[in-house]
Amino acid sequence: MSYIPGQPVSVVVQRIEIQKLRDGDNLILGFSIGGGIDQDSNQNPFSEDKTDKGIYVTRVSKGGPAEVAGLRIGDKIMQVNGWDMTMVTHDQARKKLTKKNEDVVRLLVTRRSLEDVVRQSMMQQPTH
Amino acid sequence: MQVDLVCRICDAAVSGRSSREERSRSSLPTLTAFNNPNCSHSPADIKAHNFGQTATMEDYDVPSAASILASVKEQEARFERLTRALEDERRNVSLQLERGSLPSDMLAGRTTGMSNQPLAWQQMVMQEQSPSNQTSLAMMQEPQEVVEETVTIEEDPGTPTSHVSVVTSDDGTTRRTETKDHLTNMKVTKMVKTVTTRTVRQVPLGPDGLPLPEGSSPLGSYTDSIDRRYMKNGDRFIMPQATSTLTRSYNNYADSYSDTPDTQFRHYALHDGYGDVTENYGSLSRGVNYRPYRPYMAAGGYRPENSYTLPIRKEDYGHVAQPQVPMGSSTVDLNRSQPERFQPEPYGLEDDRRSLGQDEEEPFDLEPDYSTANRRTLPGRTIREPLRNGPRVRGYEDPIEAELIDERHPYIHGMYPAPLAQPERGSLASLDHMGGRRSPSIDSIRKDPRWRDPDLPEVIAMLGHPIDPVKSNAAAYLQHLCYENDKIKKDVRQLKGIPVLVGLLDHPKSEVHRKACGALRNISFGKDHDNKVAIKNCDGIPALIRLMRKTNDMEVRELITGTLWNLSSYEPLKMVIINHGLQTMTNEVVIPHSGWEHEPNEDSKPRDAEWTTVFKNTSGCLRNVSSDGAEARRRLRECEGLVDALLHALQSAVGKKDMDNKSVENCVCIMRNLSYHVHKEVPGAEKFQDPSALQGPDSSGTQRKKKDDAGCFGGKKAKEEWFNQGRKNGEHDKNYDTLDLPKRTEPTKGFELLYQPEVVRLYLSLLTESQNYNTLEAAAGALQNLSAGQWTWSNYIRATVRKEKGLPILVELLRSDSDKVVRAVAIALRNLSIDRRNKDLIGSYAMRDLVSNLPSGQQRPAKNLEEDTVVAILNTIHEIITDSSENARSLMTAQAIDKLVAINRTSQSARETKAASHVLQTVWSYKELRNALTKDGWNKTHFQPIATGTPKGSKSCKPGYDDTTLPLMEKNQGSRGCGSGDMIPMDEFGPDGYSTINQRDSNSKYKSSDGSSDLQEREPFKNDTNRKHYIRSNRPTVSLVDACDVKPQPVDSWV
Repeated sequence: MSYIPGQPVSVVVQRIEIQKLRDGDNLILGFSIGGGIDQDSNQNPFSEDKTDKGIYVTRVSKGGPAEVAGLRIGDKIMQVNGWDMTMVTHDQARKKLTKKNEDVVRLLVTRRSLEDVVRQSMMQQPTH
Repeated sequence: MQVDLVCRICDAAVSGRSSREERSRSSLPTLTAFNNPNCSHSPADIKAHNFGQTATMEDYDVPSAASILASVKEQEARFERLTRALEDERRNVSLQLERGSLPSDMLAGRTTGMSNQPLAWQQMVMQEQSPSNQTSLAMMQEPQEVVEETVTIEEDPGTPTSHVSVVTSDDGTTRRTETKDHLTNMKVTKMVKTVTTRTVRQVPLGPDGLPLPEGSSPLGSYTDSIDRRYMKNGDRFIMPQATSTLTRSYNNYADSYSDTPDTQFRHYALHDGYGDVTENYGSLSRGVNYRPYRPYMAAGGYRPENSYTLPIRKEDYGHVAQPQVPMGSSTVDLNRSQPERFQPEPYGLEDDRRSLGQDEEEPFDLEPDYSTANRRTLPGRTIREPLRNGPRVRGYEDPIEAELIDERHPYIHGMYPAPLAQPERGSLASLDHMGGRRSPSIDSIRKDPRWRDPDLPEVIAMLGHPIDPVKSNAAAYLQHLCYENDKIKKDVRQLKGIPVLVGLLDHPKSEVHRKACGALRNISFGKDHDNKVAIKNCDGIPALIRLMRKTNDMEVRELITGTLWNLSSYEPLKMVIINHGLQTMTNEVVIPHSGWEHEPNEDSKPRDAEWTTVFKNTSGCLRNVSSDGAEARRRLRECEGLVDALLHALQSAVGKKDMDNKSVENCVCIMRNLSYHVHKEVPGAEKFQDPSALQGPDSSGTQRKKKDDAGCFGGKKAKEEWFNQGRKNGEHDKNYDTLDLPKRTEPTKGFELLYQPEVVRLYLSLLTESQNYNTLEAAAGALQNLSAGQWTWSNYIRATVRKEKGLPILVELLRSDSDKVVRAVAIALRNLSIDRRNKDLIGSYAMRDLVSNLPSGQQRPAKNLEEDTVVAILNTIHEIITDSSENARSLMTAQAIDKLVAINRTSQSARETKAASHVLQTVWSYKELRNALTKDGWNKTHFQPIATGTPKGSKSCKPGYDDTTLPLMEKNQGSRGCGSGDMIPMDEFGPDGYSTINQRDSNSKYKSSDGSSDLQEREPFKNDTNRKHYIRSNRPTVSLVDACDVKPQPVDSWV
């Protein structure tokens, strides 16, 4: 998952669409994020490469929209509604996720287990 | 021991900057540049030129009012004729245009000199061109003026950034930037010119019903101009090409010109500056510059721009201008170029100058116009000089003209500034009035092709003219000519103009000494130190100081201090400035503007500092001179009231939360420089040598000095002592928290204020609040300096920083985007960690941020810090882990070993390699850690410098490796890692390093000038601000909550 900024990255991603939950004036996604290019990536417990300054899902509330949609702790968010999230500040990411005028966010996330699954399936197929 | 280097850094920074001031008013020169291209075109110009010369000479002798009147009338008559001719021409032209809207042809014709066309036509062309310059004034002015303003004035909000930046670079760097500016201007001008030409034609038409005045006609003219461009370039947008063409033609012209007998001419033609300009012309930058303006043109609104410009100007000059106005106005009238035929009266030339001078200096409202006028003049001078500009001169004495002027003024003020209004003739003036605004065309018309501007020797000769206005005009003209034109500056010097100007500083008339001072300011600006030396050699510095004492005119003071700032950027002059001007600058400027009072009146509120230009210039000058070594520092520290006033100013800045400006930056830099080596240099410092630190405290002070001077070897011993002291400090530490500052019997004042623990809070406030990188760097540097050394005060300072919660503030700044800031902060942390408790805190809370600044393997971190910074960080890490296995352990957990080994093995920098290897050796020296290290897959070879492969050895053999370091390395191996480690930094930053650092700094400034640099006051400043903002805003506010705790918590936001 580590990559060189500016270079193309190939990762296995999953598309996750979260319907925001309306709570009064607030729209709730039901997860929290950490990371960002302005954050200390060394303290990110989820990243494989400690220099990765991407946005990671740090918590997912039980039964919340995010969990329902399949988001998991430790997922790295690659895109939000098409916006790149791999080179953004924490706050920029937060803002993209919490736009008041959008009821749905479409995420592109990647997680280690996804990669593993793909790798395994690719290795298995040839054997077959 | 610790690193005191800070000072140097400051110095370097300082020196770079001084120069920028010049341009403040000098924008005019830029204008000139473009004119040149225009001028080149027609051969007719040359003839006219000659003609003009003779005329001028004759006129010279005729001073009487009657003759002037007569000449005015004659001029008016001529003007009429001319107008008619113009109309005819216009028709011709339009016909031609219609026939072939072929740009290239047109241009070619123009440039080359349209031999096929009738003479009249040629003249017309010339006139048009010249007018265009004027016109351009209006249009151009906005941009150009803006540029100028930007340069000079920090305040301008509206100025285009690009321009500004350019300017800035100029300051620091030099000509390059300037050239760019020229180019920019030129481009603009060109654009303008085209427009103007059209306009001119239209103007005659004006009677047809077009009120020439820009208001309505501009659109038409604009389009026309566009067409032309097309024709010329074939490409509208590709102005640069067009420009280049023009330039070329210009060059040709120049060459041909030079062939002519007229030496003076040749002079101009040959100017390197022009050539450069031309080259630049082609460059992309122009195009860029050009574009932004375009919109303005399209808008057709001169007004918007003007209006825009005007306010700015006012700010700048507002106060100053007034005095000149009266004179200026008269001048203006005179200047109004009477068109053509009018032969210049004796003063004619002078008048021109005046107008120029006014442009530069004059105030505000008029300025736009002036500037245009200036441009014209300049170009004319350089290139075609003779022809167009000359005429306006005469008005000087004319009462009539004066009246006209008066009338205009209101007009001008209200409207946008007529581009050339002042210079114009009475008749023209009348036209203008009718029009409401002055159309550029009118201006052009006015210009008499036969007139010429005085050449440089003539101008310099006029400095000695018995009539004062002549002198002042000559000086003002010189200022204009010198703006961003190194060639002219050099010529002035070689023509012995500088002593004359300096002599004029003592002239009783304010108009004269002001203009002389303005010229000196421009001459003193730039990389060419010979000009500065020339000013000094004719006792210019004492003369400036004398004038400062004598005058209360703010504008003059701005000019004086600006000149001094420029002069102070040259090392050998620093001490001269201190000797002659330190106390005067302090008493006349620093103290009054800082708001500090010797004996504060109990009733009155403490006054705030005023960030005037004078204060900014003076503090910049002091900032530069404060870097001139121990003696300079001593003089400044002991200068009565200086430190007190600077501190007061800074405190007031903090109180008002207004600390991003240049004046604050200058003040902090002075403070940092003065804090350098306080523990060694301050009288009575011996008494405060920390007795707990050394067994023989008395000897330590002197010994240390010697050692420092001796370089690394001596340093090492000092280090060891220091190290021991550090230990002891640890033991004593507990006391500090409760403690324990010395009781004071009387209020501290003067240099003692430099190192009182109270200043810590001031610097920390600056570090927290300021967004100016230079200020941040300087404030961190001041703490670095103060926390160095082992005397009592530095102990207090180190403890105070901790108690004031300064450590988290510093650690946060390790994440700054600015290399310099990171470096200064890293070194400050290093010095602070002399205090044992600080060391523990820094070790546990700052390690990650320190390590994250290190490059990892091939991949540099996003910041890509400079070698110096990396070395500084490595040295800081070394200091932190020295004598603290706990900290070494946290270094490991911060995953630094990878990076350190990578640096040690692969870094291209010998210094980085060495510093990293010191750290590694120290880490390995902790036997209790070896187990863990081995588990992680490391072995002894990773931690031994020599053991590493051949590449490493070869590195150490590199020529870049200084001899002094070699022994150190060996010692390191043999002796305790800690001790040796300390030594290294000394080496790097030691007293010797001081000068080196300075140089480097100044170099880097010049280099960096392009982007942003210290030189430009406002530019860097602006950039910094923006960047900083960006950074800050990026940081989630949430995290800041935890900031008190050194360790920043990772941010986590629910969404």
